[in-house]
Amino acid sequence: MTSHSDNSSEISQAEETLRLIARLPAPAGLESRIHAALHAASQSHSNAAFREPHGRVVAWPSALRSQSSWARSHGEWMRSAAAAAIVFVVAGGGWGVYTRVERNLPGKVIVMPARIAAPSGFSGASAVRTPQTLAGPTVSQSAIPKPGKKSPPRTASAQTGALPATLPPDSAK
Amino acid sequence: MSTGQAIYTGWMEIPNSAVNEEVQRRAEDHALAAQLAALVDQYSSALYRVAFSVLRNPSDAEDAVQEAFLRVLRHRDTLGEVRDHRVWLIRIVWNIVLDRKRRAKTRPETDDVADLARVLPSSGLSAEELAAAAQHHARVLACVEQLPEKERQVLTLSAFDELSSVEIAAVLGITESSVRSRLFRARNLMAGLLDHTRTPK
Repeated sequence: MTSHSDNSSEISQAEETLRLIARLPAPAGLESRIHAALHAASQSHSNAAFREPHGRVVAWPSALRSQSSWARSHGEWMRSAAAAAIVFVVAGGGWGVYTRVERNLPGKVIVMPARIAAPSGFSGASAVRTPQTLAGPTVSQSAIPKPGKKSPPRTASAQTGALPATLPPDSAK
Repeated sequence: MSTGQAIYTGWMEIPNSAVNEEVQRRAEDHALAAQLAALVDQYSSALYRVAFSVLRNPSDAEDAVQEAFLRVLRHRDTLGEVRDHRVWLIRIVWNIVLDRKRRAKTRPETDDVADLARVLPSSGLSAEELAAAAQHHARVLACVEQLPEKERQVLTLSAFDELSSVEIAAVLGITESSVRSRLFRARNLMAGLLDHTRTPK
């Protein structure tokens, strides 16, 4: 087991190690390198500031700010004339553009043909066209054989095995 | 062209007041630059040592000091409001190095400790004593690394002779009593750790 004095001496030795680190000399030329870095940074900063648009206060040239009253009034007149000219040019340009541009015409309306409603009252949206049924052949009364009479001679269809167009009523049974 | 004259740009002119403001601003910039240069000359060495005590790498420490002064350059307008420039600068560099150390946490620290033990001054020692001293330094630094962060910070800063407990408190942003209690705790923990490493397993 270690004693208290051993502990304290060890701690003081440990702190001495930390003090050695704290007293380590800085590398040579550290200041000059930092100066150079700061100089480069401030240069880039000032260049960036130069590129930025600065708000500058501008005033009328002193030629227009003469001392005598006549000259002052002359300057005032010139200033007013310049302002009027600017207003005239801007307003004239605007009017020219306004007169040349074609006005918006109302949109053409295309009238759609009215829907013809189905006779049933419903729309024929889903109606399916069905072809008109053909009218069947009509058989004349004389062609129907009467019972008890001799059957007419066989036609060409009988020879080929096809059924006749009309059959006697009892033959269907 | 004298500074009192107005500057003509085309048919408009910049009045003297604007020119004077520009000149005044430039003069202030020059004064701040001179003040900053004086701070570099005066405190860069101390800042380097503070940075090195945490990072334990010469180039990283130098980078940290440069970054600290670049931050000062960016906020040079506040230089006039600072009361104690030394503590203020140490606080800036301290925050930078802690941030860097946190980011480089994945890097193994055992190699750094061994390297540092070789770097530490040990003149007038025989080869055998030199090896023993390097071993001792490495053991101490390994124990320091095992301390909790708060205690480690206080112990590291307390090694700087030029920093009083009040200044350490100002750097860490805590009270002086907290500094003392943390230092007491750090010493106790260090004693235990050193005892543990010395006892054969």
